[in-house]
Amino acid sequence: MIQMFHVYKTFGKDLEALVDVDLHIHKGEIVFLAGPNGAGKSTLLRLIFCDEFPTSGQILVNGRTTVHMKPRAIPYLRRTMGIVFQDFKLLRDRTIEENLALVALVAGGTAIQARQKVAQLLKLVGLSHKAQMVPCKLSSSEQQRVAMARALMNDPLILLADEPTGNLDTEQAADAIRLLFEINAQGTTVLVATHNLKLAEEAGCRTVFLKQGRIVEDRQRVNLPTGPAQQKRV
Amino acid sequence: MIEKLKHLLAHALINLARAGWGGVASIASITVSFVIIGIFLLLIQHFNALVTEWKEQFQVSVFLDNQITPLQLEMLRRRIENEAAVKAFTFTTKEEALANFRRELKGQESLLEGLGDNPLPASFQLKIREGYQSPEALKGLSAFLSRLEGVEDIQYWQELVERISHAARLIRLLGIIIGSVLTLGSAMIVSNIIRLAVYARAQEIEIMRLVGATKAYIRAPFLVEGMLQGSLGAVLALGVLFAAYRSVAPTFNLASQLFPAAAGQGFLESSMMAGLVGGGAVIGALGSSIAVSRFLKM
Repeated sequence: MIQMFHVYKTFGKDLEALVDVDLHIHKGEIVFLAGPNGAGKSTLLRLIFCDEFPTSGQILVNGRTTVHMKPRAIPYLRRTMGIVFQDFKLLRDRTIEENLALVALVAGGTAIQARQKVAQLLKLVGLSHKAQMVPCKLSSSEQQRVAMARALMNDPLILLADEPTGNLDTEQAADAIRLLFEINAQGTTVLVATHNLKLAEEAGCRTVFLKQGRIVEDRQRVNLPTGPAQQKRV
Repeated sequence: MIEKLKHLLAHALINLARAGWGGVASIASITVSFVIIGIFLLLIQHFNALVTEWKEQFQVSVFLDNQITPLQLEMLRRRIENEAAVKAFTFTTKEEALANFRRELKGQESLLEGLGDNPLPASFQLKIREGYQSPEALKGLSAFLSRLEGVEDIQYWQELVERISHAARLIRLLGIIIGSVLTLGSAMIVSNIIRLAVYARAQEIEIMRLVGATKAYIRAPFLVEGMLQGSLGAVLALGVLFAAYRSVAPTFNLASQLFPAAAGQGFLESSMMAGLVGGGAVIGALGSSIAVSRFLKM
């Protein structure tokens, strides 16, 4: 689904954000990208949805190379993805329904189609009764659920979550992770960037550890009834 | 498609309302620019009508010597008839000339008492073909005719024609220069106002980019907003111009008697008005496009 080959990303003359990254994420996987702040997690995600381009190396998303992608093709790539941010990125002056419907309208859907999909997704995240509210009336956890619902509007193949629990307390964070697993269970490939190592470990799924732009460990999940997860040192 | 257009227009109107005093300033600036452009258009329209009227009536008067013989007259008539520059001509006898003059002095015929012999000469009035109406061509024709026997004098309002043609060219040129400068200025003002709107909606644009909006989708509401500002400014300018024209037009009653076709022009032609409104929309779209293009980076 997502393949990175010897990817380097340098900002300016000498700020190395990613160094020789090789990463393969298969369809239907849920993978955590863990590491301290500045490790390169967000940069890696931005390379996947083409908000940045690598200095060198190759990236394939769903079989298509994105490195030399024409600018006019990028919006269509992004419609196959859903993106969730730490700060939710909801429009403050629009209702929850309008925030979600925007995604469908942008992709060329009609208002009726948008409304139907919005209703379906708000039901999934348990916020149907708050459809007409503006984001500031919702709690952080609720806003994050709305952001996840929005990320699902186009039935994405890939969902990218950049620090989705950054503004949430422990219990809310656990809820958010649970929802991501539910989304993954529907078949969507999920990639979650987090600096919360404990969260990543407790998730128990494949975790890729980044430090100073390099992958230092790719911990695979092993479905054993007991025992630790299998570790692969890079 | 219609739903999308309605959605786009609704969005643009909401943004226009949100623009507040910035939008008002933008529209006001376009209005002022277009009032000035409109004044030039009116002047050009009326001057063109004046020049056309003169060309329609373009007469060269060939005044004849009082001693001209019938044979010389006939020779002259044939020369004029065969002259390529002459479209048509009429002959006025001395008596007819006096009768015409009496009619023009209607109410003041007493001025002719004590005149004695009829001093007015016979004349040919020549209507000149298109293509021969330039000052240079007329000069050549005049020189030719004046050499013919029996011709006393040639008149064709040479200086006036030259001056009107020259003035018309000058006004047209001035209009183009000033119009271009004003158009550019207006586009820049619209661009700055729209840029403020773009920055105010930076978050929304960012989110639209991230969920897969194309540049065209993001740009479209701003373009429509710019077009609305521009065309609204142009419509207001037409209103101002019309009001001013109505109040000023009666002052030129004397001129209207001398140049009825030019005066009968009235306000701007509908094609010019449509052009102004369309031009306003184009300027607005242009300014908008500049503002949004600078902001978008994909």
